[in-house]
Amino acid sequence: MSIERNPDRPRIDAREKVLGKAQFAADRPVPGLLHAMTVPAAIAKGDITAIDVERAAGVPGVVRVFTWRDFADIRETPATRGGGGDKPGYQPMKRPSVRHRGEPVALVVAETLEAAIEGAEAVSVRYRPSSFTASREQPGAEREPVTVDHRAGDAPAAFAAATSKLDVTYLHPQQHHNPIEMISTTAAFVDGKIVVMEGTQNSAAFKFGIAGMLGQDPQSFESSSPYVGGGFGQKNQLQQQSALVVRAAMLLKRPVKLVMPRSQLFHTATYRPLSRHRVQVGAGADGKFEAVLYDIEQQNSRFDQFGAAAGEHVSRMYATPNWRSTNQRVRVDVQAPAHQRAPQEHPSSYATECAYDELAYALGVDPLELRVRNDTQHDPITGKPFTSRNLAECLRRGAARFGWDRRKKEPGSMRTRDGMLVGFGVGAGAYKASMSPAVAKLRVNADGSSRLAITGHEFGQGMRSAVAAELINVLDIDPNRLEIALGDTSVAPQHITVGSWGCASSAPAARAAAELLRSKLVELVGAGRAKGPVASAIARARRPFLEVEVSQAGLEQPATVFQRLNSGMPAPVGPEYKQFTAFSWIAHFAEVHVEPSTCRVRVPRVVSVCDCGRVLNHRTAQNQVRGGVVWAFGAALRESAEIDARFGRILNNDLADYVLPVNADIGEIDVELLDVPDTNLNISGAKGIGEVAMVGATAAIVNAVYHATGKRVRHVPIRIEDLL
Amino acid sequence: MRQFTYTRARTTAEAVTAFGRAGREARYIAGGTSLYDLMKLGVERPLHLIDIADLDEMRHVDTAGERLVFGAGALMADVAENPVVRRDYPMLSESLSKAASQQLRNMATVGGNLLQRTRCPYFRHGAGGIYPCNKREPGSGCAAIGGLDRGQAVLGTSSACTAVSPGDWPVALTALDAVVELTGPAGPRSLPIADFYLLPGSTPDREFAMLPGEIITGIAVPKTAAGRRSTYHKIRDRESYAFALTSAAVALTIDGGRIRKAHVAIGGVGTRPWRARQTEVLLEGRPPTREAALAAAHAAFAGARPGKENAFKLELGARTIADAVVIAAERKV
Amino acid sequence: MTDRSNDETIGITRRETLHGGAVASLALATPPAPAAAQLPAPARLPAHAREFGLQLATSINGEPVSVAIDARSSLLDVLREGLGLTGAKKGCDHGQCGACTVHLDGRRVASCLTLAAKADGREIVTIEGIADGETLHPMQQAFIDHDALQCGYCTPGQIMAAIACVKEGHASSREEIREYMSGNICRCGAYVGIVAAIEQASTKMRRA
Repeated sequence: MSIERNPDRPRIDAREKVLGKAQFAADRPVPGLLHAMTVPAAIAKGDITAIDVERAAGVPGVVRVFTWRDFADIRETPATRGGGGDKPGYQPMKRPSVRHRGEPVALVVAETLEAAIEGAEAVSVRYRPSSFTASREQPGAEREPVTVDHRAGDAPAAFAAATSKLDVTYLHPQQHHNPIEMISTTAAFVDGKIVVMEGTQNSAAFKFGIAGMLGQDPQSFESSSPYVGGGFGQKNQLQQQSALVVRAAMLLKRPVKLVMPRSQLFHTATYRPLSRHRVQVGAGADGKFEAVLYDIEQQNSRFDQFGAAAGEHVSRMYATPNWRSTNQRVRVDVQAPAHQRAPQEHPSSYATECAYDELAYALGVDPLELRVRNDTQHDPITGKPFTSRNLAECLRRGAARFGWDRRKKEPGSMRTRDGMLVGFGVGAGAYKASMSPAVAKLRVNADGSSRLAITGHEFGQGMRSAVAAELINVLDIDPNRLEIALGDTSVAPQHITVGSWGCASSAPAARAAAELLRSKLVELVGAGRAKGPVASAIARARRPFLEVEVSQAGLEQPATVFQRLNSGMPAPVGPEYKQFTAFSWIAHFAEVHVEPSTCRVRVPRVVSVCDCGRVLNHRTAQNQVRGGVVWAFGAALRESAEIDARFGRILNNDLADYVLPVNADIGEIDVELLDVPDTNLNISGAKGIGEVAMVGATAAIVNAVYHATGKRVRHVPIRIEDLL
Repeated sequence: MRQFTYTRARTTAEAVTAFGRAGREARYIAGGTSLYDLMKLGVERPLHLIDIADLDEMRHVDTAGERLVFGAGALMADVAENPVVRRDYPMLSESLSKAASQQLRNMATVGGNLLQRTRCPYFRHGAGGIYPCNKREPGSGCAAIGGLDRGQAVLGTSSACTAVSPGDWPVALTALDAVVELTGPAGPRSLPIADFYLLPGSTPDREFAMLPGEIITGIAVPKTAAGRRSTYHKIRDRESYAFALTSAAVALTIDGGRIRKAHVAIGGVGTRPWRARQTEVLLEGRPPTREAALAAAHAAFAGARPGKENAFKLELGARTIADAVVIAAERKV
Repeated sequence: MTDRSNDETIGITRRETLHGGAVASLALATPPAPAAAQLPAPARLPAHAREFGLQLATSINGEPVSVAIDARSSLLDVLREGLGLTGAKKGCDHGQCGACTVHLDGRRVASCLTLAAKADGREIVTIEGIADGETLHPMQQAFIDHDALQCGYCTPGQIMAAIACVKEGHASSREEIREYMSGNICRCGAYVGIVAAIEQASTKMRRA
């Protein structure tokens, strides 16, 4: 099936954003708003023996101080975590106890923000602390059984028989998403309903999940999240604060807003947990993989179900006849980790792509050649073909753009004119191509204006631009007069937008709606007169408007999937389908410069070539890849939560001490998108890009550091002291 | 944050008088980038703020006389960009432009920057019973000792405190023997910068040799020909907008290919801005090569007492000094 | 500040200026009280806050504004919560991210670390004030042209910082732009586009 390519187009909501008019959750005006502030627990575990709220209640402007007694009847339901597992998760402030450092123990609501803060500081809590475990190395860490997640052939036997063997262990630290929009919750009363405004990738959870927690009818709630100030997975569920703020507003019968401070978010919001990766590779002398044994151990909270299985994409990267990946959770007394951009794919690609690099050097095979040599068109786990896999093409084109042929083999053998050590590194990645059901309601008016209400959330990836592209292509509508309503349960059913399935689900729905509207027009006026800009044709037909609604399921999904969609439950499909397995693919090449004396590492340029299916908007898609590379840079060289296990607390809980990449850190990032439509998957030919963008890029940088210095550092971030 | 009164002073005398009447729970505020931040963190809890940012008498930058004179209220951004400072004292300019961000440099004053408090996370993030800290709550103990100490000081520490002195500008001023001009209830006085910063000892809550109610009015730097061959070299965890892991302020006089006089102070490693006198002595008479400089630089850390994770600062600090010597020596006079 | 005393002596003669909690400017000797001093008592502030409250008289985006504030308020909170100017964003509240950047008397500052009281008598420009009607500022247009944003949350701060960066003369090279834009964190990682946008806009701004 052939499909048109998208020309270069600007991001459709960029104008609102550069004008400062895009309204994020905490920006939205609400008359009579009260301000809330949380009191974080000052212990890591134990009981609350007394809470003295008298002084806080006496602070001028404080309206009420809430404690666990006010929230004891809030229910922990599976929806609490937005579908993140079958256990209910954990809701603080239900009981007089503390399960992790920094969870809210009181909520102060006041007429002004200043009074709420002063009130929160004035709450006095007495605790009976109990012993706790803050790290997997401490006594009390609870190891769950090891689980095999992906298997092919007999990996242990094949590994034992292999001629060349590698056995290495890589460590990945705890990382925090830190979207620049701090998580805020506002509960307001509109037309007899409670509208929850929180920047979220999962507005449905705020209709159905909140209702479940508060024992209310979901129809009493709507959730609106039209712009999200960065999510990266941290905003894909109800937050610890969400139900508390809604309940407080209900009790006070006034709207309440809480903007949780950054320092508290480090202890209440989710994060990428610490993980340890053992990679054993058995290979022939030519570098062809014979067996891979990959074992991951991942830290978790006591009460959450965030999975540790990391074999999904790494088992599909290369032709590996014998594969076994296992995972194990280690539970300690911390808040729940969850998905952070390329949740398992980033750490697992870091560990394996670095290990393969070690193998390449050990065998004297060019690391690029090693990857090409192990290319495959079949999924080693299921034996099915990949629906589209252009990884080798990504590697070849990337190598050419990068100038990989200028690489000298020996580590430490390249220098700049001013004496910097130069390293070249390569890393490759993949991310599942999934889809979820979506509903699109499209109305095109004869006056040229149009409105699309659709399932999906916009958090910077360019969701609005992606769905707009399909309307422009099929209907030739005026993008300047197109209103797109999304991230709002009152305009269309909403589904969690994560896992890189957002645009690949919503764009097909938009396209289907556009095609349906076009065919309705043909019915109305005949094929000849239905051509050209659709609004003019509607006007010629003397109709004020045409309106359609479509429900678009993901590939192979039955119609019953819409029951899940309409009740706010996650319903994704992929990457394994009946006929094939589907992934997006990417290759990254990094050049690093290492200062020989003080060992500062710089990354002046990265080249990334991606196979993400059909490109819906070139600017937003390329931007996603650049952003993924910046994230990978942060992981390789900057970011780590520093946890003082004596306190069970993150020491660097602000943006000065949790080191994010700044502008001066980032050099040139050259991106090519192959733009090969995959119409086996969906009518838009789209796979995901936001997650695959990051996968493999940290390895490219780390491998380049090895090539520059000859030092193989098996943890990230690599810091000066690792290279001195 | 508890409520406070806010008063804007127009003259130094007004400010001092106001402080005297307000009592111990008053604070002067200039740019506020440090104080207001610490108030939000609950570390500082003043009842009265006396704003001294608008004192015209403290805004001047005078480079014409025998000494460079900076009014305490001059903004960091302005002093960093001063053409004479940039040309003749790149070390001073760089120590300012490599600090914080341009937004903060547009707010913070060069006087207030001398009083910036430590970035020790146990100090900053521990109010309200989270972490003990002898600096914040005398006698409560030090959580950094035995804790995560990668960022802590290796020089000038005590059993009560290992917090690093955070500044860049104070390090450069220390290298050039600056004098801090003060005024207060007892009238004006001057203090060599070496005497301005106190070692923690058993009283880490006392950081500055200032008397209650005193205001920094200005900073004077004796002019030296070494200023042109100078640099402030700063190594940090990212390329910009970060505090120093290690830094070195170096100014050199070079004669016939050999160092005649060296000014060396280091940051990121000490509990106060640290003058590296022994390194200066060892550099004198030596060529400004990296090798010679490195040997001399190690002497700066002779008395260092590293903890668990910050021993790397000894080597990194020495290399930072050595690189700074080479950079300074290559500067055109 | 409005609560200027008419005292002609230097120093504080009314104990209540400090202990009663009202605010006093001590600029008593010479300058006459500004026009704002004649404005009525704070109306928008809850009664309890008045004791420690101030009346802020300033200019925002060219318009004179008088507003009652809590002495503790940051300029950012007054803009956002008091005046509904939500373009400036809160990303850290500690001067560590740059999302709150506005211009104060023509300089870029972190409004979260600026006591609102300090803005009295000064000129504030926010993201809402830089376009000329429907015509975007060249920096805004450049951010669209180079897709120098993703989620858009840090964007107002980036643009305000970028305009100042050019006006300061710190946009002469990519390296200099990167350094002088490092006070604005973009977690989405749109730095390459931001640098390109500033390069484009600086040429146009110099021509204008």
